[in-house]
Order: sequence, then structure tokens, then C-alpha cells
Amino acid sequence: MTGMLKRVYEPALWFAGLLIVWEVLVRAFDVQSFILPAPSVFLVRIFHDFDRLLLQGAITTKLILYGFVAGTIPGVVLGYLIASFRICERLLYPLVVFIQGLPKITLAPLLLVWFGFSDFPKILLTSLITFFPILVDSVAGFKSMDRRHYYLSRSMGASGWQTFWRFQLPSAAPNIFSGLKITIVIAVTVVIVVEWLNSNNGLGHVVLRAMDSHDTPLIFAVLVVASTIGVFLNYGIVVLENVLLPWRRGVEDNA
Amino acid sequence: MRANGQERAADTGASIAGRGIKKVFGTGPSAHHALGPIDLDVKPGEFVSLIGPSGCGKSTTMLLVAGLEKTTEGKIEIDGVPLSAPLSEVGIVFQDHLLLEFRTAIRNVMLQQEIRRLDRQELRERADALFEKLGLTGAENRYPWQLSGGMRQRVSIARALVHQPSMLLMDEPFGALDAITRTQIRHDLEMLWLETRKTVLFITHSIEEAVGLSDRVLVMSDGPGKIVDEIHIDLPRPRPAHLGDYPDFAQYAQRVYTTFEKLGIYKFK
Ligand SMILES: Nc1ncnc2c1ncn2[C@@H]1O[C@H](COP(=O)(O)OP(=O)(O)OP(=O)(O)O)[C@@H](O)[C@H]1O
Ligand SMILES: [Mg+2]
Repeated sequence: MTGMLKRVYEPALWFAGLLIVWEVLVRAFDVQSFILPAPSVFLVRIFHDFDRLLLQGAITTKLILYGFVAGTIPGVVLGYLIASFRICERLLYPLVVFIQGLPKITLAPLLLVWFGFSDFPKILLTSLITFFPILVDSVAGFKSMDRRHYYLSRSMGASGWQTFWRFQLPSAAPNIFSGLKITIVIAVTVVIVVEWLNSNNGLGHVVLRAMDSHDTPLIFAVLVVASTIGVFLNYGIVVLENVLLPWRRGVEDNA
Repeated sequence: MRANGQERAADTGASIAGRGIKKVFGTGPSAHHALGPIDLDVKPGEFVSLIGPSGCGKSTTMLLVAGLEKTTEGKIEIDGVPLSAPLSEVGIVFQDHLLLEFRTAIRNVMLQQEIRRLDRQELRERADALFEKLGLTGAENRYPWQLSGGMRQRVSIARALVHQPSMLLMDEPFGALDAITRTQIRHDLEMLWLETRKTVLFITHSIEEAVGLSDRVLVMSDGPGKIVDEIHIDLPRPRPAHLGDYPDFAQYAQRVYTTFEKLGIYKFK
């Protein structure tokens, strides 16, 4: 418990200190707000525009989650297939490597041409980008199972289904979760970037409008909101991991 | 239910009869002759050890007997029935416990019940009894990383026995343990075995362990291994911690050393 408190308040203290230094410097050198606003300015701005930021933040969060889930599920399934079946590995892996080399964010204009002003191209692109890291971690996870565990499961007469649920998936889960934790933050970036290109709402859209009107404090306010979303989503996955993989608690500290 | 449907007295183990067993891994230029050909006969309820140099094919032999790998040549009969699929009435213990890290000790053992769909209540009682005999009481709800190496291996033994298989296959089960733990766990295994008389095929590098536990020790040559000597161990049971108490022990051990020297496995000057 004290350890947990420490993990929260130590970084918080650092952060607060940093903001104070920032505030002091901005005031001391009289930096103009549209170049670098003082923390007090954009933090107040968050409260001022709270309803709007909350609404737009919710829209962005929804897209992040849809895209993330739409990328994760095929990533895990395909990871399982590639790790488990030689033929899938031979057929799919070259394709995967090729697509992975593609800078997928550059597909955004194309997807927008194809699918127009809707959520679909945003979700699709987010899922495409989250898909690959999850796939790679899933393959590693499913391959990490000791071959002798397969011997054990076969000698117990386990069905393919039982082997999957009781041996393979839990063995792969730690790798999958470490992929999820990294990827969710990438998804935040992707959605905001796509919202720049095509949107009449969402945090990306707010940032763009703020830029047009040289409203730098609002840009910073959105930045704070976006990173808060990232932190909370990441924390959500950590909580999920603790619930689903209770044995992991302490493994790292004790291994 | 046994795969072959034959009835065997409930409290005896299965018999193993292998003829001309040979294993070649892979094909073509990458083919690797790992074992044999060997004949392997184990009577119901017998405790037989395989001892031999590293890479001679001991683990391979065990996998073949379990039906987990196919013989390249020769055939194996369990209770007179040719093996054609993985043997189900078997408990396996590997050198490194191979417990599932995401299950507590008791749930690792109860995996047998879940997968084989056996009676939950009954299996739980048996698991508890095994935990008590193996000195694991109180460790039920701990994860493998919270157990000592010796305890993990004990859990692994409980997992191999809880479904009352007719055969126990152990591949260097105590190889990773310290000498003190090894001596105790050897005794605990012997006591369990005396109680149930499963057929045991026990693979080891330790001459002391082989002699300390077995009715019969089979000595294997360098890979591809053949069985080069067979020693009947005529010592009373249960055997003591310090085997040197028996004058015969030195003779048995000497015989294994001599065989290894003759084979050129030991090259002492
Ligand atoms: N799946 C496999 N594919 C190819 N070769 C294998 C395979 N399994 C084992 N071998 C080879 O077969 C030989 C016998 O292996 P095995 O594991 O049976 O030896 P062992 O007697 O158990 O050795 P150790 O005492 O070191 O455990 C070794 O040369 C090994 O490299
Ligand atoms: Mg081996």
C-alpha cells in the first residue's frame, strides 16, 4: 500500500515541481501566451472549456477504443495461427512483414478518399496501426510455451480447445498485455492525427481550430486532456491485467 | 477407462514391452539417430531406472513409451496393447517441474481433473492427501514462483499421481534439486510408490538415485543409446538416506562406473 502511494505521489511531486518552474520562467521572462502559455493559463483554460473538452474527448476516446479493439482481436487471433500452424506462418508472415514496413499513417488520405467523412476510416486506420504490435507480441507469447507443456496436455488427453484455454492463452497473456499497454498509447496519437485530416469533431479537430486562431493555451489544454486519456486507458489495461492475470502480481518483483 | 479396455487389477501398474525400439529425428541429411534399437521390458509395478550419459536417448525413450513421439522402428506394447496414441493412463514428471505459472499449486494438480473431466470432489480429496504426504499442506494456494524448487517438484509429482495412473514416467525429476532435498524427496517418492505400486520408469544421471530407488537399473551407452547392462537391485525397502549403510550399494555403484569406463564415457587417467 505504501509502495503504491509512493508510486503515485513521487512522480506527481516531480510533475508539480516542473510546472512551478515553468510557471516562474514564463512569468520571469514575460513570454507571450501564444508562444508558450504558463501552466496556470492552460490549466484554467481546461476548466473554462471543460464541457467542450469533455465532449470532444469522449468522441476521441470512443474512436480510440473501437480502433484498438478492432486491431487487437485480429492481432491476437492471427498471432495464435502464425505461432501454432507452420502453414499459416509460411503464408502470412511475409505479407505481415511487408505491411509492417509500410508507413500506415500515410494511408490516411487514401482511406478518406475511399470512405469519406465518417468514423469508419479513422477506426480502420487505428486498428491497422494497433494490429501489428499486438500481432508480434502475440506470436512471441504463443511461441513462448515450453514444448513439454504440449506433451503434458496431450498425455492428459486435452482437446485443442482445452489446450488453447488452459495452456496456450494464459502462457501468451503476459506478452499480449505488454503489447496492449504500449499500443493503447499509440492509438491515442493515431486518432488525433486522423482527426486533423478529417473531422468536424474530436480533440484533433479542436487542436486544428485552436491552431488556426493562434489559441496556444487551448492547444496545451487539449494536450493535457489527450495525455490524461492515454494515461487512464493505459491504467485501465493494467487493472484488467491484474484482474485477469492475478498471478502476475509480484512475479516481476520476485522473479 | 483404459484405452485398451482390458481389465487389470486396480492396484497394480501397467507393463511395458518394447521390441527393437529405434528413434530417428528428422529425415534426409538432417536425420539424427537418437536411440536404439533397444528392447525394454518393465513388469507391472516395477521400479526401473534408466541411467546413461547425456544425449544417449533417455528422454526420447520416455516420450516413446508415453506415446508422445512415434518410434521410427520397433514397437511398444503397454499391457499387451500396441501404442498408437498418447498414453492417457500416465503421469509425467520432468526435470524442471513445468508447473503452469498462472495456476496455484492445487490448481496445477487439479488440472488433471479439469482436462480429464474426473469427479471434482474425489480428485480434490486425493490431491489433499497427496499434499499431506508430500509435505505440501499449506502451500495449496501459492503460485509456483512462491514455492521453493523442492516444493515445485513435489507439486509436479502430485500432479502426476492425482488421477491414479498405472504408470509414472519421470525424467530426471530431482536433477535440479540440492542434495539434501533430493535425498528426502527420493524417500518420499519411495514411500508413495510402496503404497501404490505403480510402474515407474525413472530417468536419472545419479547412480545413487538409481540404486536408491530401483528394482532394476538399465545402463545405457552413448547416443544413439543402447542398453548395455542391467542390474537387479536387491536391497530391502524402504531404503535409508545413507545408502552406504549397505555393503551391496558400493558394489552396484561400482558396476555402473565400470560399465561407463568400459564404454569410454569416463576417461579418467
Ligand atoms: N525433437 C528432436 N529433434 C531432433 N533431435 C532430437 C530431438 N529430441 C532429442 N533429439 C536428439 O536426440 C538425442 C537424444 O536426446 P535425449 O533428449 O533423449 O537425450 P537424453 O539421454 O535425455 O539426454 P540428457 O541426459 O542430456 O537429458 C540428442 O542427441 C538430441 O539432440
Ligand atoms: Mg533428457
